Amino acid sequence: MRAAPRASTANAGPGRHARHSPPWRQVARRPLTAAVLLGGVLAMAITIVGLLVLAGRPGHPPGSAGAAPDRLAPLVTLPALAEPVTMAAAPPVALQIPAIGVRTRLVQLGITRQGKLQVPSSASVAGWYTGSPRPGEIGSSIIAGHIDSYLGPGVFYRLRELHPGDRIYVRQADGRSAVFQVTAVHQYAKAQFPVAAVYGPVPDAELRLITCGGAFDNATRSYLSNIVVYSTEVSAMPSMPSTPAMPAMPTSPSGVAHGRPKP
Amino acid sequence: MTLRPNTPRRWRLRRHGSGGRGASRHGARLAMLLGAATLSLGTLAGTAAAAPASSMSSGMGWMRCAHLSPTAPVDIYVYSFKDPMAMSVLRHVAYGGVGMYMAMPAGEYTIGIRPAGAPASTPPVLSASLMLRAGQAYTVAAMGPPNGLRLQALNDRLTTPDGKSLVRVIQASLRQPRVTLRAGSTTLASNLAFPSVTPYGTDTPGQWMVDATGGSETWSGNIKLTAGSIHTLVVLDSSSGLKVADLMDAAGSAVTPHGGVATGLGGTVPRPAPSRLPWLAGLAGGLLVAAAAAIRLRRGRAMRGHAR
Repeated sequence: MRAAPRASTANAGPGRHARHSPPWRQVARRPLTAAVLLGGVLAMAITIVGLLVLAGRPGHPPGSAGAAPDRLAPLVTLPALAEPVTMAAAPPVALQIPAIGVRTRLVQLGITRQGKLQVPSSASVAGWYTGSPRPGEIGSSIIAGHIDSYLGPGVFYRLRELHPGDRIYVRQADGRSAVFQVTAVHQYAKAQFPVAAVYGPVPDAELRLITCGGAFDNATRSYLSNIVVYSTEVSAMPSMPSTPAMPAMPTSPSGVAHGRPKP
Repeated sequence: MTLRPNTPRRWRLRRHGSGGRGASRHGARLAMLLGAATLSLGTLAGTAAAAPASSMSSGMGWMRCAHLSPTAPVDIYVYSFKDPMAMSVLRHVAYGGVGMYMAMPAGEYTIGIRPAGAPASTPPVLSASLMLRAGQAYTVAAMGPPNGLRLQALNDRLTTPDGKSLVRVIQASLRQPRVTLRAGSTTLASNLAFPSVTPYGTDTPGQWMVDATGGSETWSGNIKLTAGSIHTLVVLDSSSGLKVADLMDAAGSAVTPHGGVATGLGGTVPRPAPSRLPWLAGLAGGLLVAAAAAIRLRRGRAMRGHAR
């Protein structure tokens, strides 16, 4: 810091102590070379920073998907569904899939101007397509969620891990719940997405969960396939009475004791 | 498809939507009917006990049974041709009773009707077989007059024109052998004879005031049709005259979205580790330039010193 004033005094007598003149005098004399030196040093500094950033960048910061805002901008507002004739259910508000650790509130989805299914604006929540039957009513209800965002896993990142028999819980606005059981998990190329099979009418209460999967096309920044999980409502079924043909589960203390290894 | 052997499934009676004028009257009658129809336990053993599935690829179809003949209550049995041990029974189904759709593996089934409470070992008074195809839905109904009871298998539609509803009418009123049904200005069934069924007709979704007229009897009520839904309207006799039960056959999306769903941005796609080569090249280049410049500076200084 004290060098600056001294430099100005040194400048007063040019060439007097050329041999011992400080580097800044050299710089003043050869500005081009000095600039090149500075550029080289700067380039090195930038590359070092770049390498450090590259080494220290985490793969998928956990929970990064949750950082995105949850608000959903409606593109096309669909008219509200009329009351169903039978098996009326309140609109769905939350979704839980214990098998893959999903626990999310549900936003409402419509149709985009291009006629495609709208998707949640946040990767951390799933959404119910308001043009489909409500979960728990007769028909094929549709819930879509992201497999990932730009940054990391989305709400349906593990959807493909579901197996037939896994349970899906949908909480409705009136506090009641509908319980579904996975019947099938399919992967379809988006180019051949079976819209009739996924969105078409069914005679029982079903729920289809949709996310992306398959190969990722870096050029279009999109996945080439969709994963669709098919499930059917089971909460409408009665509790299973034990019959002679099917031994009851050991729920009583004696049953548990029976299962212990003998000493 | 998980198979859960011996999973008992209960057949349920569908709630009929009967709105509009005389709703409470019909509701009371219906409640009586439903109450009388003791819910039964049907045991579908073996493969027939598979968890319900939807897609055609899983090889499942749907069947529901109905008692649409004004006779005494009946027990409706469903046997799998493939698996003689598989059986399902809907007990004490009164006139107008309709079971829920059951998902069943594709294959041949035999439907048997017995008077309510008759032992399963007795021969059925009526039986019919049905070839159930994957991805298809059927209504098997006992129809006709008491002395001419027959089993009729109806193929239920599972597709609608986009944004439309489908409606068909079953005429099951014995007291009024010909009935006309109108929804607004649309005629759903004109002088439909007992016991017969109209084909599905395409209708505009909305809330419709439906009028049924047969002889001196009339009925009217509100029926809501949502886009993408399929309905069967059943004309029945009740203690207070004609009534119409609205059955939801199936429902899908009101508007079918196009193509696939854009539910991923690629943040979790495994990518090859970014190359460090450009950075290392930059580092080397910078080093080279800096070194060259430093040498030149030193040399220039040395030369000047030497000159002096």
